[in-house]
Amino acid sequence: MSELKTTPIDQKEIRRMLDQKKKKMKRLLSHCVHCSLCAESCFLFTAHHQDPQYMPSYKAIQSLGKLYRKRGTVDRDFLERIKKIVWRNCVLCRRCYCPIGIDLPSMIAFARSICRSQGVYPEMDGSPAESWL
Amino acid sequence: MMIDFVQGPLIWIAVGLFLLGLLFQGIQFFAVTRKREPRFLTPEAQKEKAASRWFEEIGRRVRRLTRRTVLGTHPFLIVITSIFHILLFGVPLFLLGHHILLDSALGVSLWSLPESISHAMTIVILLCTLFFLGRRLFLARVRVLTTAYDYLMLLITMAPFLTGFLAYHQWFDYRTLIFLHILAGEVLLIVIPFTRLGHMIFFFLYRFFIDSEYSFVRGTRAW
Repeated sequence: MSELKTTPIDQKEIRRMLDQKKKKMKRLLSHCVHCSLCAESCFLFTAHHQDPQYMPSYKAIQSLGKLYRKRGTVDRDFLERIKKIVWRNCVLCRRCYCPIGIDLPSMIAFARSICRSQGVYPEMDGSPAESWL
Repeated sequence: MMIDFVQGPLIWIAVGLFLLGLLFQGIQFFAVTRKREPRFLTPEAQKEKAASRWFEEIGRRVRRLTRRTVLGTHPFLIVITSIFHILLFGVPLFLLGHHILLDSALGVSLWSLPESISHAMTIVILLCTLFFLGRRLFLARVRVLTTAYDYLMLLITMAPFLTGFLAYHQWFDYRTLIFLHILAGEVLLIVIPFTRLGHMIFFFLYRFFIDSEYSFVRGTRAW
């Protein structure tokens, strides 16, 4: 794990992954009308006193949306920040509701895949749950 | 020259781009989605399905649609937004002035609403727009998502109604306003298929065709 933490980020690989699903993901990202109606469908949003950072759309835009906006030109710090959004702020229960029908969980899942491809993921073994987030 | 173009060919260009754009988006939707895999029912479920009568099936579907939904979570917003979206189509489509122009251009026209009703509906649309603007400005959860682009989209949507309203009342310079009204309408038509305003068609594609927990009917497609 420590080896992975020090290896540089393979931006080419991130760009390849982003391009692979570009048609679908860009479509979903650009179709969000920012209405915030997805908020209540997230149990973490309601559990955290309606903190906007737990809104499904906010999580998707701040993770995958930013990856597309930066066209994959990101560093490890950036992916570590995304890790918090896609693992700590979302459990991927796939119950988010979107009035337009945008597939929000697939965006979070894809952001997780990109992080994982660069060795950025929570370490489950050994350390207490709080430390990996 | 500019006025002639905006009041003449650009109208047909805008309508053409609008229709072609919607068609393009529809075709692309089927290209990026795939047919969903068939569902398999357990023998018990199959038996139950075979035994259920048609009215039980309808009851099940009604319950599916009316169980705790977003209407229960945000009743006020859903009522406002429903009125807004219905009027957004209803007002321009059944406006007397539009039909007089359509009649003189093509010799065909639709049924029109009385002018007083169209006028009242336009005021409702403008008030709804103010409501959405207020949400974006004052509600934290909407504000964190809002970008300058959202305000631009709201402006593009509202512009034809505001200019039409002002032109109807003949406030300010009528000729300038009617020019702006036509231009705003054309801009709106052109941008609908290529921006998030395209939810005019995506809403139906995503909620009716994609099979998911929240789809209105059992969809046939999957992402």
